[in-house]
Amino acid sequence: MATMKAAKRTEVGTNKVKQLRKAGNIPGIIYGHGIDPQAVTISEHEVELAMQHGDRLLELDVDGEIENVLIKALQYDTFGQIILHVDFNRVDLDERVEVTATITLTGTPQGVKDGGVLQQSVSSIHIECPVQNIPEEIKIMVTEMKMDDRMNLGDIELPEGITLLDDAEALLCNVHELAEEEEATTEEGEDADAPEVIGERNVESDTEE
Amino acid sequence: MPLMPKRIKHRKQMRGKIRGNATRGNTVAFGEFGLQVMEPGWITARQIEAGRIAATHYLHREGKVYIRIFPHKPVSGKPLETRMGKGKGETKHWVACVKPGTVLFEIGGVPEDLAKNAFRRVAHKMPFRCRLIHRKHSL
Repeated sequence: MATMKAAKRTEVGTNKVKQLRKAGNIPGIIYGHGIDPQAVTISEHEVELAMQHGDRLLELDVDGEIENVLIKALQYDTFGQIILHVDFNRVDLDERVEVTATITLTGTPQGVKDGGVLQQSVSSIHIECPVQNIPEEIKIMVTEMKMDDRMNLGDIELPEGITLLDDAEALLCNVHELAEEEEATTEEGEDADAPEVIGERNVESDTEE
Repeated sequence: MPLMPKRIKHRKQMRGKIRGNATRGNTVAFGEFGLQVMEPGWITARQIEAGRIAATHYLHREGKVYIRIFPHKPVSGKPLETRMGKGKGETKHWVACVKPGTVLFEIGGVPEDLAKNAFRRVAHKMPFRCRLIHRKHSL
């Protein structure tokens, strides 16, 4: 469990928070367990490092008070590059939590060697697990999959203590043959396919009447 | 066939202005990789179609290509060698207005290097600067 330092925050409002961000810090909030929410300031670099390392459970040192928190939500800027705000959820270390885990398929399926294509339908799943055992990612070996084989979410062998919350019958991945090439597009037919104008009277039908 | 609406409320539209950055449609939602726009502008239905074809051909029909924009806006033009006046011209083509940050295309179910190369080919056909983005960490 990573440790991070935070400070209690009194600055609220757009302008003050913008100044915080200029100084390399991020505004955040800690909530949960029926205790009053606490606004905090935290180093942007430390949050980025935690995200890169896949740390979700943190030991947050808020001006000397230690809190175990889970990163609940992150707000990004328009381009998805800069973290603007972070939400922390208070947790007990023996608690079970609902999180999303990324799925990574490993290996080359037999069906792909035979000329098929592996298609992954779901990239992450919702799971319930002990807060201390949140998996960074779930690796699934697909080397045994043959042509026209499919794997459902229920077929995933989850580590002990982890429960799947999604529909077990939902498709995770399948191996299938290459689809046929799409037909060439019909060009220059735009006038014939002009869109219908809602509420416009059809002149030809009016004159016939 | 390039994309175009099936039904519209008005046959012609004013040009309008594109202000600010995208606040919606600016994250990777369906695939694993996305092509994000860095500049505002119009993208025609033909350019969208050219991008889709470039991606699907490079991927050899592997994976899945998602188009995240739609050309809702009609652009009118006058025929060649026509005198000015006599009202606004007829609709010539359809465009999508995009703000910086909008994700144009997404690709899923292929390795990163393949998606990167496919998007490089698509980006050459786009009328703005674009960049590759990844799906965010799941929390």
